[in-house]
Amino acid sequence: MKLCFVTVGATASFQKLLEQILSSQFLETLAKRHYTHLLIQYGKDGQQVFQNFIDSDQPHHGLTLGGFDFKPSIDAQMMMTVEREALNQERGLIICHAGSGTILAGLRLGVPLIVVPNPDLADNHQQELADELEAGQYVISSSVKDVGSAISRAETQKAEVLSMRTGNTTLAESMSDELSFLD
Amino acid sequence: MPFSLASSFWDLLLWCFVLAITLGASILLVLLVSLTISQNTIPSKCRPRGSPTHLMIVLGSGGHTAEMLYMLERMKFAPQLYTYRTYLVSSGDNFSADKAKAFEAQLVQNSQDHTHNTYTIVTVPRARRVHQSYLTAPFSTLQCFWACLSILCGLHPGQKLPKEYSSFYPDLILTNGPATAVCVVAGAKLIRFFLCLANITTLCLGLRTTSTSASTPKLRTIYIESWARVSSLSASGVLLLPLVDRFLVQWPAQAGRRAWWGMKRTQYAGWLVI
Repeated sequence: MKLCFVTVGATASFQKLLEQILSSQFLETLAKRHYTHLLIQYGKDGQQVFQNFIDSDQPHHGLTLGGFDFKPSIDAQMMMTVEREALNQERGLIICHAGSGTILAGLRLGVPLIVVPNPDLADNHQQELADELEAGQYVISSSVKDVGSAISRAETQKAEVLSMRTGNTTLAESMSDELSFLD
Repeated sequence: MPFSLASSFWDLLLWCFVLAITLGASILLVLLVSLTISQNTIPSKCRPRGSPTHLMIVLGSGGHTAEMLYMLERMKFAPQLYTYRTYLVSSGDNFSADKAKAFEAQLVQNSQDHTHNTYTIVTVPRARRVHQSYLTAPFSTLQCFWACLSILCGLHPGQKLPKEYSSFYPDLILTNGPATAVCVVAGAKLIRFFLCLANITTLCLGLRTTSTSASTPKLRTIYIESWARVSSLSASGVLLLPLVDRFLVQWPAQAGRRAWWGMKRTQYAGWLVI
């Protein structure tokens, strides 16, 4: 299984991204890159767009599609994009809005991430975060219409963020200092 | 004599005004000076590792809680150092309470010895509910502040700290920014102020010759600004900047900020959550 997981955020709707994801052109790109599954968290107001697509006779390009509006935790869904041989799972892809929680969870998994900021939501500090992460080459930032071409760039990214997970002892040291532990 | 009556009335008003200004200014000055002294006082090393140590962790809404638990997991949290944990959650926030329970269950699983039941989860009323009117918010904030004070003093009915802990005050408070955190840290500062006053008074009266409260520091506070904040501090961060003992930031642009001249600067820690 090679999964592309798309999440548009729980509170706001992001119809434009949803329509782009379900376009024949995007699905074809996914199929070409050997994706087998597409799972979409379509948020509020997204159900209709998703259902219309399923009911129509538009081509799926061999992809298995799934969707849901909201779950209290999407950790399990994100985990399905991590490479795990035992489960016959290949390294997948996460496409998300600029929500910091989702980006952080994705970075922690070391999965390729495409961040698509929602132009209808004017949240400056989330945009700033997305820009900074793009500049640091941790994620690929993309507009709605370019999301298809961002896939190849995202896949070639190394999972080097995970290598940062060693040896930041600042918090432990700070706590030890404040508690005035004897060395 | 109506003229002199009027004049003495205005005189009185003027004096009241001057008195109020002077009083206000001196209170502000005392506040600023004591906050500055407090933040610059570094306790001397005195606590043996492994001695009973009470850590309070303030959890908040989804994002804050997730980041806090990522950080604890990432720092390889050692329950043998922070021997007792109190998790503070807002009422109705089952997500955070569940996350804390899962984290503690993981700690038990990772450790060989049976260090179970060394934590509690206490609930405080929300400082401000989502969509709550700003008219009633001050009252609910006061209610939250009061609950935080009682928890810091160990008076909350849910708390059951083992006997070997010398005091009910937590030794260290760790927080990353829900509104409740401001109440907790302000409460801790207030209690420390009164403890310090009591200490000075007993010293001056000659009731004690050495100060005992200086031996083990209590109610120390660490604030970690959210990873999502690249260049500007959050509202909680701005409020807590003069109040916390240590202010950690995760982006270089946030380093070196301080509340005012003479105060401690924010410290760049790198990414703590990944």
